[in-house]
Amino acid sequence: MAVAIPPAIERRLDRLERIWEEPSGLVGWLTTTNHKRIGLLFLFTTLLFFLAGGVEALLIRTQLLAPEKGVLGPDAFNQMFSTHGVTMIFFVVVPMSIGAFGNYLVPLMVGARDMAFPRMNAFSFWVFLCSGVFLYTGVFAGHAPNAGWFNYVPLASKEFDPGPNVDFYALALLFSGISTTATSINLIVTIFKLRAPGMSINRMPLFCFAFLAVSFALVFALPPLNVALVLLELERLAGFHFYDVGSGGSALLWQHLFWIFGHPEVYIIILPAFGIATSIIPTFARRRMVAFPLVALAEILVAFIGFGVWAHHMFAVGLTQLTTIYFAAASLVIVIPSGIQLFAWITTLVTGRPRFKTPLLWIVGFIVFFIVGGLSGIMFAAIPFDQQMTDTYFVVAHFHFVIFGAAMFPLVGGLYYWFPKVSGRLFDERLGKLSFWLTFVGATVTFFPMHIVGLLGMPRRQYTYPGGLGWTGYNLAETIGSYVLGAGLLLVVVNLAVSLRCGAPAGDDPWEGDTLEWSIPSPPPEYNYAVIPTVSSPYPMWDREDRELDERRLAAGEMTLERGHETPTSSVEDANLDEIVAMPSASWAPLLTALMLAALFAMLVTRHWVAAGGFFGLAFAVVGVWHWNEPEGA
Amino acid sequence: MTARRLPGRLRPAARRVLGAGALLLAVLLLAGCGDGAQSSFDTNSEPSRLIERLFWWMVLGAAVVFGGAVALLAISWFRRSRSGIPLFGEREPVATTAVVTFGIVIPILTLAGLFTAANVLVMRKTNAPAPSSTSMTIEVVGRQWFWEFRYPGTDAVTANELHIPTQTRINLVVQTADVIHSFWVPQLNRKIDAIPGKSNRILLYADAPGTYRGQCSEFCGLQHAHMSLRVYAEPKAQFDGWLRNEASPAPELASAEAARGRDVFMSEACASCHTIRGTEARGEVGPDLTHVGGRQTLAALTIPNTAADMAKWITNPQAVKPGNKMPGLRLTPDETKAIVAYLQRLE
Amino acid sequence: MSAMDASSPAAVASTDRRQGAWPNGFWGLLLLLATEGALLMVLYATYFYLRTRAVEWPLGGIEAPDPVVPLILTATLVATSLPMALASGAARRGRARAAWIAILVALFVQAGYFAFEMHSFASDLDTFQPDDNAYASIYYTVLGADHFHVFVGMLLNLWLLARLLGGLTSYRAVGVRAVSWYWHFANLMTLFTIGTILSAAV
Repeated sequence: MAVAIPPAIERRLDRLERIWEEPSGLVGWLTTTNHKRIGLLFLFTTLLFFLAGGVEALLIRTQLLAPEKGVLGPDAFNQMFSTHGVTMIFFVVVPMSIGAFGNYLVPLMVGARDMAFPRMNAFSFWVFLCSGVFLYTGVFAGHAPNAGWFNYVPLASKEFDPGPNVDFYALALLFSGISTTATSINLIVTIFKLRAPGMSINRMPLFCFAFLAVSFALVFALPPLNVALVLLELERLAGFHFYDVGSGGSALLWQHLFWIFGHPEVYIIILPAFGIATSIIPTFARRRMVAFPLVALAEILVAFIGFGVWAHHMFAVGLTQLTTIYFAAASLVIVIPSGIQLFAWITTLVTGRPRFKTPLLWIVGFIVFFIVGGLSGIMFAAIPFDQQMTDTYFVVAHFHFVIFGAAMFPLVGGLYYWFPKVSGRLFDERLGKLSFWLTFVGATVTFFPMHIVGLLGMPRRQYTYPGGLGWTGYNLAETIGSYVLGAGLLLVVVNLAVSLRCGAPAGDDPWEGDTLEWSIPSPPPEYNYAVIPTVSSPYPMWDREDRELDERRLAAGEMTLERGHETPTSSVEDANLDEIVAMPSASWAPLLTALMLAALFAMLVTRHWVAAGGFFGLAFAVVGVWHWNEPEGA
Repeated sequence: MTARRLPGRLRPAARRVLGAGALLLAVLLLAGCGDGAQSSFDTNSEPSRLIERLFWWMVLGAAVVFGGAVALLAISWFRRSRSGIPLFGEREPVATTAVVTFGIVIPILTLAGLFTAANVLVMRKTNAPAPSSTSMTIEVVGRQWFWEFRYPGTDAVTANELHIPTQTRINLVVQTADVIHSFWVPQLNRKIDAIPGKSNRILLYADAPGTYRGQCSEFCGLQHAHMSLRVYAEPKAQFDGWLRNEASPAPELASAEAARGRDVFMSEACASCHTIRGTEARGEVGPDLTHVGGRQTLAALTIPNTAADMAKWITNPQAVKPGNKMPGLRLTPDETKAIVAYLQRLE
Repeated sequence: MSAMDASSPAAVASTDRRQGAWPNGFWGLLLLLATEGALLMVLYATYFYLRTRAVEWPLGGIEAPDPVVPLILTATLVATSLPMALASGAARRGRARAAWIAILVALFVQAGYFAFEMHSFASDLDTFQPDDNAYASIYYTVLGADHFHVFVGMLLNLWLLARLLGGLTSYRAVGVRAVSWYWHFANLMTLFTIGTILSAAV
C-alpha cells in the first residue's frame, strides 16, 4: 500500500476482524457461515469426489485395456461407469464451480463481505456433503447406480433393476439438487444486490456474468430432473405408472424430462469455466477483453438457448422429421455465442502481450480442447451423422473433450490463479507447467483416439469388446493416456499442497490482476473489505485513481460499517446504495437441518416411510428454529 | 526486451503444435488398422456412403477451423511482447470486427451450408423409407441379450444372424420385448432405437454380397456388450433358398444320438425357454432354435457355433456370458453331448 | 441506522419507503417461486404429454372429474390473495394488528379449502388408485403437488401469526410481503392445476 495506516486505524481494523471472526477449531468449521470457509469446504469435498471419480475412470480404462479382460465383471463395470458419470457431473464439476469458486470469489469480485444468505450457504454445503455420503454409502454397499448417468427406463425400472441401485441414484440426485438450488439462489441475489455501490451491471466482471447465467440456468433446469426422479421413485416404490407402456405410460417421457434438464446441465458445466477463462485472459494478456459486451451477452445467450436443444440427444429414437430438424437447427444456433467467446478470447491473446504462466497455459489448453469438442459437437448436429455415431465412442470423445478439456482445465487453471490469494503463497511455476503438459498430453492420448474407435464401430458402455475389429490398439493407447492424465492431476495436487507449506509469500497482487479481490491482502481478512470499494469499470484494479481513493479513505479512517456484522446492499441495475443489512453469524442450524434431511433420505431408500415423514417434519422444525432468531442489528 | 529469437530453438508454442500433431500421428500408426468389420468407413450401402462422405467434408471444415485457431494461438506466443494485431496495429474496432466476422458471420454461413447438406439432402436417404418404396419387410425384436428376426409372410424366425437378399430395399421394423435396444449395422445404415410400445423403421439395403457386423447400441443391461448381430447379404436365389429352409419346421432326425438329444431337450428346462418349430418346444424367453445348426455363431456372436463351444455354453452359460438368462442345467456329459448332436443337426 | 431493529410503525413504514430496491429475502423468495413454478409447469406438461399419447382419456374407464365443486373450491382459495395482499400492505405501513387479522382470515379460508380437498382426495381414492394406470398416477401426482404447496403456505401463515405476536419489525414486514407473494404464486398455480385436471372432462 502506498499510504501508511495510522495505529488508530489498525486498531479499528483489528476490531472489525474480531467482529467477523468465527469460533476456532472444529466447532468453527461446523458452524461457519463465512463464504470463504464454505468455499474451501466445497473445494476439499469436491476434490475428494474427483479422486473417487478418477479411480472409477482408471478402473474402467484398465478393464478396457484389452479384449475380454477380467478386471471387472459386467455388473461391477456397469456400476463403475454409471457412478463415474454421476460423481463427476453432480459431485465434482458443478459443485466445484459454483460451490467452491462461486462462493469464495463472487462476494470478493463484487466488493461484498459475504454472500446474501450466509446460513443458507452453509446449509448448501452440508446438504451437498450428506448427499455425496448418501450416494457413496450405496456405492460401497455394492448398490451403486448401474443404469448409466442418464438412467433410461425401462432398464432403470423396478422390473429390470429391482435392487436399490436406482433408488440410490434418484434419491442422491434429489438430495444434492437442494444444495445446488440453494447455492444458485444465493449467487443470484448476491450478484443482484450486494455489489459495491457504483458497480452497475455493465461494470460487473465477466466472471460474475457467467455465474449469474449459470445460476439462472440451474434454477430452471433442475425442476425437470426433479420431476423425472420423483415420478421414477413413485413408480419404483409405490407402483405408480408413468414410464411403463403397458399402463399408459411412455418410456420416452423419461428421456424428454431428463434431457430438458440434461442439456442445460452441460452448459451449466461449462459456463463457470467460461467465467474463469475470462478472468485469467485479461490479466495475463495485460489488456481488456475484446468485445466485452458481446462476450457478456454471449454468456447469457448460451444459458438461454441451451434450453431449446434437448432432443438432439434423442435423434435415434424415432422422433418425427420435423422435430429432429428443429432441434438440429437450434443446436447449430448455439454455436454462435460459443464462437463469439472463442474469438474474443483468442483475439485478446493475440492483441495483448501475454505472459504464458501456468494459469494461462491451462486456459490455452482449455481453448484447444473446447474447439475440438465444439467441432465434434457441431458434427452431431448433422442428423444422419449423429444417427450413425450416437452411443459410440465418438460421443464419449466429444463429451470428454468438452467436460474434461473445456470445463476441468479452467477449474485447474483457476486453482492455480487464485491459489496465491486464498493461501497467501506462490506455487512452484515449473511444477505447474509440468503438471499442465502431463495432463494435456494425457488427456489428448486418452480421449482423441476415442473419435477413431467410435468411427470404427465401437459402441459405448460396453464392459468388454472383441478383438479383431481394429479397436484393441486404440483402447490400449487410451488406457496408457489415462494413467498419464492421472499423474498430471496428481502433480497439480502435490504442487499446491507442498506450496501451501513452503511457497514464497504472494503479496496482495502477484499477477497484476484486474478484479477487486487483488486489492485486499492474501489471504483475505475475515471482513474482506474494510472500505467499500469505488468502482468505475469492470477492471477495477486497473483504475488506479479509484484504488488510490480507497487507500486514502482507509488511512483517513473513512471506513464503513465497522460497528457490527453488516454489509451494504444496492439496487440491481445501477448499484445505488440501498440498505445496510445485518449478517448472521456462526450457527448450528444449517448442519442440523442437513442432518435431518440426510436421515429423511436414508429412511426413504430403506423404505421406512413413517420414519421418513418424521424426519421431514423435524427438518421443518429445525428450519423454524433457525429463522426464529433474526440477525441482530448494531 | 525484444531480442531476436535463435532460429534453431523451437519455441514452446510451436513445440506444442507440432507435438500434438506428432502425437496424434503416432497414436494412429501405433494403433494400427484392424479388421474394420464394423467400421463406418467400410460402407456397403448408399446411406452409409453418404454419411461417410458428409463426415469427411465436416472433418475438412473442422481441420480448417482448428488449424486457424492454433495458428492464431501460435501467433499470440510468437508476438507476445508486442500488442496489437499483425498488419492492423492496435486499433480496437479491428479486433471487435474480427470477433463479429469469425464468431458470428462466418459461422452462420458455414453452419447454414452444413444444415442444408446434412439435414435436407443426406437425411432424405437415411430417413425411414416409405413402405411402398421397399420390396420386403423384416421384423427385428431386441431382447436381453439377443436379436430376434422374423420374416412376415412366412413362418421363419431366427436369431442374431440376419439373412437378406442383396440389392433389395428392405423395410426393417424394429421393436423391443423388454428394455430399449438399438439396431446398428454401420456398414449398411445409421442406427435406430427399439423403444417399448413403438415400431421404428429403417431401410436395410446391401449393395454387394457379404457379411456385415452390427451391435446393440443402447445400454441394455449386464450383457449389452455381447449383443452383436450379423447381416448376411446374398444373391436373391441363394437367399430364397435360405428363407425356404428357415421357414420350414425342424428337419427329421437321422441318428439315434440326436433323437436322444431331442428327448433330453424336451424333458429338461430347455423347451420352456426355446422354440423349435415342429416340436413341442414353444418357449419365448430365449432364441428360436429351429435351424440353430446352420448358424455360424452362438449367444449373439459371443462364441462360434462348434460342437465344443456349444457344449461349453450349455454346461455353463454364466461362465460364457455372465448375467444372461440361461441357467446352468445339471446334465451328464452324455446328455450334453446328445443335445449338442441334436441341435447341430437342426440346419 | 440498522434496518433490523426498527419496530415502531413509523420506523417500519419509513424503512419500507426508503428501500428503493426489493429486499434480499424477497429476491430469494421470487427465485424459489421461479424454480417451484417451473417444477409444477413440468408436471402439467407431463400430464398433457401422457394424454396426447393415450387412446382414450381418462384411461381405464375412470370417470372424468366433475368440474363444479373443484371450481368453487379453487375460486375460494384464489380469493384469499385479497386478504394476503391487504396483510402485506398493512405490514409495510407498520400496522401490525391489521396485518395479523388479515392473515388470520386468509388462513381460516385456506384451512377450509384444504380440509375439503383432503376429503375429496379420500373419496377419489375409493374409486380409483394411483397405481391403476398412468392417468390415475398423474392425476394424483399433480393434485398432490398442488396440495403440498398449499399446505406449506398454511404453515407459513401460521409462522407469521406466531411471529407477529411479538411485534412488527421491518424484517418481519418483509416476511409478510414475501408470504403474500408465495400465496399469489400458490393460487395462480392452483388455477393451472385445476385447469389441467379438469381438461379431462373436455
